[in-house]
Formats: sequence, structure tokens, C-alpha cells
Amino acid sequence: MAPLVEMRAIVKSFGPVAALRGVDFAVSAGEVVGLVGDNGAGKSTLMKVLTGVYHSDEGEVWFEGRRVRFSSPLESRQAGIEMVYQDLALAENLTPVANIFLGRELTRSVAGVRLLDGGEMRRRARQHLEALKIALPSMTLPVERLSGGQRQSVAIARATAFRAKLVIMDEPAASLAVMEAAKVLALITRLREAGVAVVLISHRLQDVFDVSSRIVVLNRGLMVGDLPRDEATMEDVVGRIVGRA
Amino acid sequence: MARAAMTERPPGRAAPPLRDLLGRFGLSLVVLLMVAALTTLQPQFFFSRENLTNIARQISSNALLALGEFVVIVTAGIDLSVGSVMGLAMIVLALAVKAGWLSGLAMLAALAVGTGVGLLNGLALTRLHLPHPFIATLAMLNIARGATYLLSGGVPVSGLTPAIRFFGAGDIALLPGTRLETAFPISFLIVLLLYTAVAVFMMKTITGRHIYAIGGSPKAAQYAGINVNRNLVLVYALSGTMAGVAGLLLAGRVNSAYPTAGSGAELDAIAAVIIGGASFFGGRGSAGGVLLGAIIMGLLRNGLNLMNVSVFWQQVFLGFIILLAVYIDVLRRRSMRQED
Amino acid sequence: MTKREPYHTSLERGKVRQMRQKVGALLLAAFVMLALGVPQTFGGASQFTILLSMKGPGSGNPFWAAVERGARETAKSLGVNLVVLAPPAETDVQAQIAQIEDQIAKRVSALVVAPTDVSALNATFDKARARKIPVLFVDTDGTWPHKMTFIGTDNRAGGALGGKFLCDRLQGKGEAAIITGVMTTQSIRARVEGARGAMKACGLQVVAELPANSDRALGQQVMEDILTRRPNVKAVFAANDLMALGAAEAMKARGRMGQVLIVGFDAIPEAAQAVLKGDLAASVAQSPYNMGKFGVENALKVLRGQTIAKRIDTGTILVTKANAQQYAK
Repeated sequence: MAPLVEMRAIVKSFGPVAALRGVDFAVSAGEVVGLVGDNGAGKSTLMKVLTGVYHSDEGEVWFEGRRVRFSSPLESRQAGIEMVYQDLALAENLTPVANIFLGRELTRSVAGVRLLDGGEMRRRARQHLEALKIALPSMTLPVERLSGGQRQSVAIARATAFRAKLVIMDEPAASLAVMEAAKVLALITRLREAGVAVVLISHRLQDVFDVSSRIVVLNRGLMVGDLPRDEATMEDVVGRIVGRA
Repeated sequence: MARAAMTERPPGRAAPPLRDLLGRFGLSLVVLLMVAALTTLQPQFFFSRENLTNIARQISSNALLALGEFVVIVTAGIDLSVGSVMGLAMIVLALAVKAGWLSGLAMLAALAVGTGVGLLNGLALTRLHLPHPFIATLAMLNIARGATYLLSGGVPVSGLTPAIRFFGAGDIALLPGTRLETAFPISFLIVLLLYTAVAVFMMKTITGRHIYAIGGSPKAAQYAGINVNRNLVLVYALSGTMAGVAGLLLAGRVNSAYPTAGSGAELDAIAAVIIGGASFFGGRGSAGGVLLGAIIMGLLRNGLNLMNVSVFWQQVFLGFIILLAVYIDVLRRRSMRQED
Repeated sequence: MTKREPYHTSLERGKVRQMRQKVGALLLAAFVMLALGVPQTFGGASQFTILLSMKGPGSGNPFWAAVERGARETAKSLGVNLVVLAPPAETDVQAQIAQIEDQIAKRVSALVVAPTDVSALNATFDKARARKIPVLFVDTDGTWPHKMTFIGTDNRAGGALGGKFLCDRLQGKGEAAIITGVMTTQSIRARVEGARGAMKACGLQVVAELPANSDRALGQQVMEDILTRRPNVKAVFAANDLMALGAAEAMKARGRMGQVLIVGFDAIPEAAQAVLKGDLAASVAQSPYNMGKFGVENALKVLRGQTIAKRIDTGTILVTKANAQQYAK
């Protein structure tokens, strides 16, 4: 099967610092790929090249069989690549519904004026949350009054609400309690079942082993491992993360 | 119409338990208490039609300055220039009239000055990358005031046209032909119309939603593909336009443009916004609340004037009301947090 | 719930009702007192309430304090009710308008007003006129055509008085400077014009005319600039005392005390003391007390149907070492 995303020989330097030194990376539809590596290994840089935050010095990005050059996160989003940022990037003062539809609000015309269609947005948001089995205490509370896990769920719901084909999650469980982290991992599994590809960046190797079908290891800007989950062992992955590349 | 503006709620407010109701209607309660107190203390004067229309006209320009200021404060910004811009718009209006312009054109010129200066504020903030709107608008406070003195030569320009006076000082018959026919101050009618329009804009349009989002988290807004800078420019232009309208009404009311008009008015506008429940940190508040804030300030002033209380005491009271309003809000938020 | 008062006899109930009425009446009286703000006085004039609306509050400014004192003492002796109000700052036109409108709503009998702007209150005065409330200007003349009178200093004459004094002291020779105030204020402009005219007439050269916004610190700053740019200036006319005192401060800082003749305007106590010490050469005294006094007297005359003059001068006096003592208290 042709991969959904294919990144070939990506090189990216920041001044004298070589962040990525020719990385190949691919994700197929409906696949959960764990992306691991030490701090500064290049995980976030690689994903930011993919979403268009950064532009690579060399290399190619292919998406659904076409060569692409996303100039901004907006463009990659329109193509179906969503990112859940580590700090979630939610507007804390707005409701879950408003956050899910932020920048993509639904409107209806009232006397020739385009007004927000609150009812329709609530209905669709509720539908979507139900499909993801996300339970929120209220749809009208501002996000700041939700728990960490609930906010994470809102961020994930937002990333998946608009037929996303690939969702990148940057440390989604880092600041969560055990129970809530488990819920987020279950959510990732459900996304995969719904045919959405997921890239999971995490330091919590156990999480990565729990939900990924493949594990990619980066070390100092190089890809040092691309292992199917079933053939990977914790010792092997840790060795590649800390080894001298 | 006023009711519509007052009961709309900011996005993300919970369905109401009792203390939320208190929080939301606390301001209306304060207004009712003040009205009751004034009716008791000054029975023969306060509830006269003359006094009520006085109050309505007196608060009109502050209410409009506060309305523009409110939208700016929702983005976690501040516009210190509104008082000066109001003065500048007044002088431009009066000079245009003196130069023989049609009233309509002169009024458009005044509005254009307001909008233009607001645009400059927004562009200075976003294009020059000034670190905080405080700086761009503080600069504009001085520039606009200086320009006002330069244009006027430091002397008042008096004698406006009946059309302009109509907006600031005229009355309109509401429910004409019925027993309930009342003469209603046009300036306050304009205030109510603009408050309703801004309330709808902020609560019911995409741009309004984005303005709240920018105030809540500029980064989240940016990641969501919202053009933050464009929205900020719009917000400051809106604030300037409101200052222009406020100048129009004030000039019409006093039939004159005087160069000190609006000195220090920005602080009153900010006070009304804060009393009205908006947060300096952005993302919070409603147009209806701000209108109540402006009304509270007007009632306080009027009541103390009727009781011949010195302006110094009025300032002290106003200070305490600001403290109290914000403290009540702090308490309410704290009780919300503890419940989580 | 039914109303029952089993513990009161009918007599007691009567007493209770009486007491309630008494308390009610007392409360009402207290409110009325509060509402009028002044002790009730009785007599023919007590049916009238005169509003004195000043530009600035009496506390903090000796000038307005004197206006207020003149008005209050006169009102007391004539037995007329007086309400004194002022905006927080002399530039706060809107606050003054609001205060006057609110008092019109309370049906004061007459307005004695020192307007914060010569024209901006005209619409407000129209409202007073519609309710047959006469308007008298004090201190600052307004453009409103229906005023009963203007009671105030002839500022041009006062300025000329100060200019003439400098002429005499310098025998019409040398360079002079003028420190102007808020030039939007008509009284300040008149002073400056009067002083300029007198100095030019006697042959003094007015080499600088700089604004200091009627502010003391700015007066000092402007004087420093004058000393730097025009070291030969021998005389300075400042359009009010605060700027004159600021200018004297600048001289002090340069160790050139008394080497430039400085004339102020208003003869506030601190300026009078400075005249006694020789820091200032002179000041031109207005009679703010007379403004308050004449304002109340003439308002009452109008209310009683008598005619009054269209222009009432309260006079100016040159305050020098010879007579400064009485202003210095």
C-alpha cells in the first residue's frame, strides 16, 4: 500500500546546527507510528517540516501520492494533516464547541447577515465527541474549567473533527494522571480504527508500545530505527535512543 | 433593545447555578439598588423625566468610548487614545461645518478621522511591532490632542448645524400616537443601537468569536488559522470609530467643539468596561455588562450631584466602585475554581 | 399572614404610630438637609437657591476658595440658599455641564457660573433659560447672548497694570519675556495682551513669549529656557502666579535671585510671600472674594426683578512689597 505521507531525505539546519541530517519517514493510512528520541533528536522539527511550520533545506514531502510544499500550518490542515500541540493551544475562555470549530465556524444567513450557527456547531460537536466516546461534563463551560484530560480530549476532537487523515500528537499524555492518560491512549486506538493515521511523539515508551503499530527512533537528526511494534523490545529502542548515532 | 444587549452572555459561560446568576445579574442588581436609593433620597427630582433624559445624554459619549474600549480590552489590549480621538473628531466636525461643508459630510469626516486614527493605532501595534498597545495608543493620545490644539488654535469652535445638534441634543417620539408616547433622547437611542450591533457582532459573528479567541490565547488563535494582526487592526479601528461617534454626540450636545474635550475620558471609559465585568487579561466580558458599567457611573455621578456632594467625593466613590466590582468578580471566579 | 399586634393596646398603637411619623419626619428632614447641603435659613430670600458653579474646587486653589468664601458669606447675610459645585479639573467641561444640568433638574433659582469653556455650555444655559433660570457669569465671560451680566476682573487692564509696572521699573529700556498660560482660556489671553501692549508701548522689547500651561513646573522649565536663550531678559510677565513662582524657582536654581523682575497674576498667598521676600517683583491681584460676593448679590437682584449692569468689574490691584502683607496670610 502506498504510504499516506512520505518524507524523503529531509535536511534542516538552523544556522550551524544540523537538526535533521537526511531523514526518511513514512506513515500509512490507519497506522499509529510512535516517534521517539531524546530531547533535540529532531522529532518536533521533523513534524514541523511536515506541517509547514518549517521549510526543509533538502528533501521531499509526498502526501497521498503527490509532492507537496506546505507553506503554513493552515495549508497542511486543509490537506488533512492536524497537529495536537503539547500545550494544546486551546482558547481557554471559549467553550469546547467554540474551540473545536475555531477558525472553521459554521454560519447561517439571517436577513442577509452571516451569523454563527451555534445550534448546528453544538450538534455536530456532540456527534463527533460521541463517536470518539469522549464525555465532557458540559459543552458550555469554558475550557479552562475542564480537567487536563478533558482538555486533551477537546484538543484531539478539534484535530479530528474535519476529516483529518493524519493527526500528529506531541506528548499528549505528558501532564496527565494515569487514568486520564489511559483514556487518551484509548482514544488514539479508536482513531486508528476509524482509519485515521496517528503519529505519536512521546517520552513515555510504555505508551508508545501500547498503541503503536510501528516505532521510529531518531537520534541527533538521523533515523536510527524503524521497527514494527511486534519485533521491537524496550531494551532495543532505549539503546537506539541513547546510542551514539 | 437594551434588554437584548444585557442578557446576551459571553461565550463559554456555564448554564447557571445560583451564584453564576448572581454573577451575571449582579450588575443589574447594583443598578436597581442605585435607582431605588436615589428614588428614596431624591424623590422629587430623580425620577423626573428631565433628570432621566439628562442622565441618558450625559452618559452617551462615555458609553460609546467604553464600547470601543471594551472590544479592545477583549483582545487583552488597551486604547488610551479614545478621549483625544473624540476631541479631534469634534474639532474636525466643527471646522468642516465652519468651512461650509454639508452637515452629513462634516459628520462623515469626523467619523473618518476616528476610524483613521484607530487604524493608525492598529497598524502601529502590528506593523511596527510595538511591544504593547499601551505604547502605540499613548503616543496617539498625545498626537491627537496636539493636533486638536493645532487645528483649533486652542479656542473653541462653536455654532454647529441643526442636523448635528439633532443627534446630540434632540429627542425622538417613541410609540407616537399612543398613550405611551415619550420623547426619547436620540443620542441614547444611538448608544442602544450601537451596543446591540456590537453585542451581535461580538457574540454572533465569526470575527467576534475570533476576537474573543485572540483575547483568550493569541497562540491558539494563530494555530487555528486566524489572522491575528488583521483582527487587531480592525478592533482598534472600531474603537476609533466609536470615539468619532462619541465626539459627534458630544459636539451636538454642547453645540461646540472645544479643544480640551475628552481630556482624561479614556480613564472613565476603561472604568466603565472594568465595572462592566470585562477582564484586563482579555477574552471576557459582554457589551451589555459594559453598558451597565457606564450606567452605574452615570447614576453615581448624577445622584451625588443631586445631593450636592463635592466631585472629590465622587471620585472617591467611583474608585471604591471599581475596586468592589473587580473584587466581586475575583470572588466569583475563586468560588468557581474551588468547585473544580 | 394576617396582621395582628396583640401586645399593643390601642393607646400604645397610637403612640407607636406617632413615633413612626416623628421618625419618618426626622428622616425626611435629614434627607432634605442633605439634599440642600446647607443649613436652612428663613426670610424673604430663603425661597431662592443660587447655584455657584466654579471652574475648580475651592480646596486646593486659594482663588476659588476666595470666590466660594465671598459667595457663602454674602448668601448667609442675605439669607439666600447657596449650592457650590465645581468639576475636578478646570478642563473638565463635561463634568461641569453635568453638574449644572442636574441642578437645573432640581430647579435652582439662578446660576452663577465660571464657565470652563466660553461656548461649550451654551446649550446647557439654553435649558436654564427655557426654565426661566437666569445665568450670571463670574470670572470668565461666556459667549452666551442671554447672560444677565459678567462679573469679573478686567484681565486686560490687569495685564496692562503688570506691564506698566515693569515699564516703570526698567524705565522703558531692555528686553522682556512673557510666560503665557492655557491660551484656550480667554482671561489668560486678555492678561497677555494687556501686558504685551503696555510693555511695547513704553519701549520694552518683548523677545520671548512662551507657553507654560499655567503650571508651576512648566513655568520653571520655560524660565530656564529663557535664561539660556535670552540672557539679557530683565523682566518677565507670567500670566498667573504659579508660573511666576516656577520662574522664580529657576532664578534661585541659577543663583540669580532677584536679578530679573518677575510679575505674576492673582496674588495668591505664596506669591505675596515671594513678593515680600523679593523673589517676585509684583503680582496683580484680582478680587475673587468680590466675584463670589457680587455674584450672589446680583443674582438675588435679578430674582427680585431688579435690573443689573451688563458688565461688573471686580477690580485689579498691583501687589508690591508695600501692600503684599495683607495677601500673604
